[in-house]
Amino acid sequence: MNHKRIKQITAILLLAFLICATLAGCGKEGQEGTSGAAGQNTNGTKTEAINTENGGKESAMGRFLEEEIDTGIVFGTIYDMKKLEDGTLRIIGSNGDDGSKGAWDSKDQGASWEKAYDFPTELQDSDQGYSDRAALSSDGQAVCAYNQIQKGGGILAVLYLLDQNGKASRIPFELPSVNTEGAMSNSFEVTAEDLPDEEPENQAEEDSQEMGASISNLIMDIQFLGNDQVLAKDISDNVYQISTADGSLRQTYQFDGSMESHQVYAAGKKILVFSNKEVLLFDSETGQQISTEETLQKGAAESGFFQAVDTINQGESVYGVARGGLYHYKFGGSVMEQLIDGSMNSMGAPSFYPIVMAMLDEQNFLVAANDENSDSPTGIALLKYTYSADTPAKPDKELKVYSLYDNREMRQSITRFQKDHTDVYVNYQAAMSEENAVNVSDALKTLTTEIMAGKGPDLLILDGMPVETYIEKGILKDLSSMISKEGGYFENILHAYQNQQGQICAAPARFMLPMAQGGSADYKPGEAFDSFTSRKGVLAGMEPKYVIEKFWYTCGAAWQKEDKTLDVAKITEFLTSLKNAYGEYDANANQQGMSVSFTSDGNTGNTEEIKKILFSYGDFDLAFGRTKVNIGLFAKMDYGMLSAVNNKLKDGSYGLMPGQAENVFVPSMILGISSKSNQPETAEQFLRYLFSHESQKISQSGGLPVEKEAFRSVIDGHQYQGKENLVCVGGSGDDIDEILDYAMVSTPEEEIKKLTDLAESVDTPALRDDVIKDAVSEQGEKVLKGEITPEEAADAIMQKVNIYLAE
Amino acid sequence: MKKTYQLIKARRSKITASRKSFQGFLWILPSFLGVMAFYLLPYADVVRRSFFGAVDNQCKGLENYRTVLENTAFLLAVKNTLRFTLCCIPALILTALLCAVIIYRSKYGGVIKSAFLIPMALPAVSVALMWRLLFHSQGMVNHWLSRFSASGTDWMNDESAFWILVGSYLWKNLGYDIVLWMAGLSGISENIYEAARVDGAGEWQCFFKITLPNLRSSFYTITVLSFLNSFKVFREAYLVAGDYPHESIYMMQHLFNNWFRSFSFDKMAAAAVLESLVLLLLILLFQRALERRNDGKEC
Amino acid sequence: MMEKSVRRKEKERMRHGAKISKAVLWGSLGILGFLTLYPVFFLLASSLMGNDELAKYLGPVIAGKEGFVDVPLLPQYPTLRHYVEIFLDSPEFFVMFWNSTKITVGVLAGQLVVGTMAAWGFAKHDFPGKKGCFLIYMILMLMPFQVLMLSDYLVLDRLKLTDSLWGIILPGAFSTFPVFIMYRFFTEIPDSLIESAKLDGAREWQLFVYLALPVGSSGVIASLVLGFLEYWSLIEQPMTFLKDKSLYPLSIFLPDITNVGKSGMTFAASVVTFLPAVLVFLGGQDYLEQGIMAGAVKE
Repeated sequence: MNHKRIKQITAILLLAFLICATLAGCGKEGQEGTSGAAGQNTNGTKTEAINTENGGKESAMGRFLEEEIDTGIVFGTIYDMKKLEDGTLRIIGSNGDDGSKGAWDSKDQGASWEKAYDFPTELQDSDQGYSDRAALSSDGQAVCAYNQIQKGGGILAVLYLLDQNGKASRIPFELPSVNTEGAMSNSFEVTAEDLPDEEPENQAEEDSQEMGASISNLIMDIQFLGNDQVLAKDISDNVYQISTADGSLRQTYQFDGSMESHQVYAAGKKILVFSNKEVLLFDSETGQQISTEETLQKGAAESGFFQAVDTINQGESVYGVARGGLYHYKFGGSVMEQLIDGSMNSMGAPSFYPIVMAMLDEQNFLVAANDENSDSPTGIALLKYTYSADTPAKPDKELKVYSLYDNREMRQSITRFQKDHTDVYVNYQAAMSEENAVNVSDALKTLTTEIMAGKGPDLLILDGMPVETYIEKGILKDLSSMISKEGGYFENILHAYQNQQGQICAAPARFMLPMAQGGSADYKPGEAFDSFTSRKGVLAGMEPKYVIEKFWYTCGAAWQKEDKTLDVAKITEFLTSLKNAYGEYDANANQQGMSVSFTSDGNTGNTEEIKKILFSYGDFDLAFGRTKVNIGLFAKMDYGMLSAVNNKLKDGSYGLMPGQAENVFVPSMILGISSKSNQPETAEQFLRYLFSHESQKISQSGGLPVEKEAFRSVIDGHQYQGKENLVCVGGSGDDIDEILDYAMVSTPEEEIKKLTDLAESVDTPALRDDVIKDAVSEQGEKVLKGEITPEEAADAIMQKVNIYLAE
Repeated sequence: MKKTYQLIKARRSKITASRKSFQGFLWILPSFLGVMAFYLLPYADVVRRSFFGAVDNQCKGLENYRTVLENTAFLLAVKNTLRFTLCCIPALILTALLCAVIIYRSKYGGVIKSAFLIPMALPAVSVALMWRLLFHSQGMVNHWLSRFSASGTDWMNDESAFWILVGSYLWKNLGYDIVLWMAGLSGISENIYEAARVDGAGEWQCFFKITLPNLRSSFYTITVLSFLNSFKVFREAYLVAGDYPHESIYMMQHLFNNWFRSFSFDKMAAAAVLESLVLLLLILLFQRALERRNDGKEC
Repeated sequence: MMEKSVRRKEKERMRHGAKISKAVLWGSLGILGFLTLYPVFFLLASSLMGNDELAKYLGPVIAGKEGFVDVPLLPQYPTLRHYVEIFLDSPEFFVMFWNSTKITVGVLAGQLVVGTMAAWGFAKHDFPGKKGCFLIYMILMLMPFQVLMLSDYLVLDRLKLTDSLWGIILPGAFSTFPVFIMYRFFTEIPDSLIESAKLDGAREWQLFVYLALPVGSSGVIASLVLGFLEYWSLIEQPMTFLKDKSLYPLSIFLPDITNVGKSGMTFAASVVTFLPAVLVFLGGQDYLEQGIMAGAVKE
């Protein structure tokens, strides 16, 4: 009896526990539920939620529209932009044509600009120094951080105050010295004038070395606080509050390590410090920290890092631009309001980096941003946002775009497309890009369900879906009428998926070329697979997995027999040859040797995995002799690097990668329209746009454009024309002497022709079947590591693939 | 003994007196409506699809069935599923019975039973993670083997994958089945044993003559539940080995999964209908066999 | 009381049984028990290890390093960091926990109402087509989810239940599994009991509420415990029917194990997911035992 009683009690307790857990969860849900949902600014679900919030009723009206202002002036840099007390808009920055620095005014809300003044000569760049930060106050004064180059080579940071007309006077303030050691981050490159927001830390590093044990400091950020004080942040993230009149130090703010990367803004008499995680508030009069309002704290956590901030109403209303759009917070308010959804304009584009924003009034503001895909040749764009009351808050047409992996070209194109089509909202969802560990198979299952339920995407990027199966099952619409017939495209590539009836149900908008580079002893362009792999150890030093994967692209296409089954003999040959070319696997060497070299384009696309099979990933290892050849998929031209490596190898050359199949290209960004699309016209419109020159010339290393003119503009390096951009790159390996000098130059005509000819000659699309690919790379890796024989591996591959093909 | 039989008999006979036939159905109605909406209706849709093309909705008659029956992947999956079921269900039921009989007589029975039950509560994701760490070619099992200077294999990629799956199934469900058996055991009246022992029956005789026959109705439930649970190993198999595991553990669900992903709803539906027919047949046969035995005993 | 005395007698008898064979049996049971629990210890231990330690042990599998995975059962530098990370630094974990709770409680509540009624109906009432109906229930219970996935989705979509927790809860509430379990139980209630209650003037619903449910409570609880396990570790349904990640339940929370920095969190998350299930399971164990089988009449 007693025993039973105990059990009953246990059960009751358990039940109670469950109920408590439920209630506790319930209480929490109020807070956590929202933040959980808002954690994913980049994906479609979130935006939908916002839209329904904004437009609770059917067609709520009113939305900010974006336009890029053609200023007539090419800005090289914009340091600051502000609406002055008299209503004039002022920009302080540099002229992109000659690098001269000055200020420009606009009396008509940013539509036209004229020069206000030039910086005095002593503040222009010269051998004696350069100015690299500046800020404006609302009464039109400016403060400029000038780096004076000392005789010994050191740098002294000096502050100058410029009055309304550009007359400069030095602020007698000496920046406290900071030990540079430790404060210096390891960056690998120094460019002269190439990147507008380049931070000259390395120069300082060199300088400080020359000065021996001397100590220096630099100003990393500068802001006005009111009209008579400035806030200057130094390299160790201390913020100094300085009076402009006498240079006296009013306050110093220091932060611990957790606030490592932060931005400082003045809001009235308050100082706002934004970091990735939190917001700190300080009272500038007392220098004391004041507690941050919870709404602001929470809002900032949800919206992401504020890259540009401006305030109105004496700092009581704060506006900030983040990846998710424009946010507004009024001190004492109950919400942080999202005024603009970043996914509907440039703000959400991956290449968009806001520099500064200026509020004109509550319905108009300007943002200066660094956007390499803008129309401006220097990449500095000035955008105006205007509230339009008669535009629907949410565009009435929604076009769903789906891909497995995040595609930056797609994001860029969407931004631009939406700008011209304000009635279309493109909801782009990249299934694998989110934090959740959904695997490809599950993602595709969900996709299948949605397509069948008629709720699927309108436009698909087929980046891992079984393209052939989709075509065969009639999931994709025939695009042949939409794809332009007239020349101007690499038709060999564009028509890769044309079937016997002449239908094109999927078309690659981009492509990659499997390329190889190496010294003449190891690689000859145009060489056959057999002779290339007969050299033992030519592939040594690479990661086995990626070797297999790269050669899978050039060989896989040759394996399929006419009845669609695979040829075992070819697979065995493939593995045997590669094993020979790879030689013995040395696990230890591999682990240290493969340094993570930075790719020549800082923001390489999709995922880590894809990055590693790119050609640009291996150029460092080749240059420094860690590998004998560099192979990989060529997706972006960097002629400077290519020729620098060739020179370093003395007799290096590059060409198509050898393989069992010849003239292979890898279709990329394969587009298809769902045959169950609810918006076929809009989908078609967008598809046409994606094939247009404007969209094609966007290049973020997701592949080379199929449109010939865009192809040329992507590979010719025109952005470097007429400039001398010396770059020196160091490996991130242990050896600090590993330095490769190269110039970022435009591509010579004959190289352009060589690549164009290559692109025209390729006619075999690489097999893009992830099931086969995964089976091959899984087994192949073991072969290269010497765990199993090529025959065993071929059997294992066939066994898996046979089931797959039999289905 | 007599008393027990009487009771059994009483249970078997249904109370039919004075009950309106549809009143009974009212009890089922709410559930039935839900089942209708969430299970039967979808199932009817599946049956319909088995006669139509995958996406184009053209009637194809029995063609789908023919394609499926000729499909080598389907045949392989059927073979594996059968093999798996035939291997692990008897193994599980017997091991569980053995353990149950031993544990039942112990005062620590409760603790041991709980130990065996715990694996069932482990989430599939964690189990898969464990499996990966244990049976990877560089995993822990090979590590232990290498200590005894035995060479390991890549467990998930050869024939042993099948046995790992069987083991995984046994591991997860052993406790569950032990509990079921023990419940069955507890239902057997001690008096019967006493009586038998007085008659001079030994331990083994008691087991075969009293224990086993009295566990018959438990046997039915246990088999059905074990069968039901045998489908659930797919979760782990899938999480560990993905869509295309070693051919020895390529099950029906793998095939369904893959067909689903490649829009082959026609084949999938036909195979599903075939599968449910087989299930139906099995259940009927099983019930019939049990009933016949019971009847024989009772007469 | 009675039981105890019986046990004592039992023991006395065992004493002159073969002691050696008993030892062997217990030994092997012990080993089996340890093997069964090993993965649980493993998960617990790993969840207490720091990231560096884990990276060292797991390197070969998750980062492709040489050597073997070797995880000791005691962490060298135990730390609760991963738990802190989960509870304090990942708000989404709470959301998922709450979602899981909602799904499980919702489904169980539904089953409690609808399932018991149906089971009662099947067990003690007669209506035309009852056998066939029950057969259908059993087949539906045995159908793999993949088969009905698409059609289910279409139905849910029509009912506007996709991308909502109701799309998981409702089909779960109408699952036929608990009906099967509870049916077995309700049939064991002696008809004489029902008859006598009826003679006392009890109505149909009173019979159900005041007789069937209390007498059958352990059966009901048993089915709820099994239901809890099932729905607490649900994977396929949420994956298919839910798009909004903020609706995901705990069971699909699987931070990328290949990401070395997060493997500790995976282990900790496993443990946190596992705990409620184990508590419910252990608490409900006895009901499982008594409830599921009801194999024979107890005295």
